[in-house]
Amino acid sequence: MISWALIALGLLLVLIGTLGVLRLPDVYSRLQASGVSDNAGLGLVLAGLIVRNGFEKADLTLALLLVLLLLTNPIVTHSIAKSTFTLEHRERKEDR
Amino acid sequence: MPIVEGTLLLSLVGVLARLGRGPTHGDRLLAYNSASNRVFVLLAAVGTFTGRAGFLSAAVVYAALSFLGVVILARFTERGGGHR
Repeated sequence: MISWALIALGLLLVLIGTLGVLRLPDVYSRLQASGVSDNAGLGLVLAGLIVRNGFEKADLTLALLLVLLLLTNPIVTHSIAKSTFTLEHRERKEDR
Repeated sequence: MPIVEGTLLLSLVGVLARLGRGPTHGDRLLAYNSASNRVFVLLAAVGTFTGRAGFLSAAVVYAALSFLGVVILARFTERGGGHR
């Protein structure tokens, strides 16, 4: 029951994030929609899967996936934003 | 439960549309990152619901490799690789 609530909330956040990636006008706003909703929504789906799997069988693979998602997604978002900003800045400097 | 996998596949298709359209490098990189995140959560969901542990190991390897790939591609385009 708790697992279905977590999974449903996470899937709702994932759908909202997909809508944001499709509809927002700018690279940076799309990056924010993608980063925030992926981190929260997919993290909630993984948490629901962990609860559904049960805590008796000590299988740490799903927890490892959750930790991996929460560690790497901010790094990826930051590096994409830095790469986009550097490219834009370089093009603007070449135009002058 | 096929509803979870179906919703993840629907959002995967939406993100892949941005991967094909996106005007800048950053759009394609963020769409690739979101698509690979959805793929490994989909693998984890399939592995949990069917009870096969191989899907979970594949999801861990896929997550680590896609993280490395996106970071390396972002550094590559930041240093001016590829045509602009």
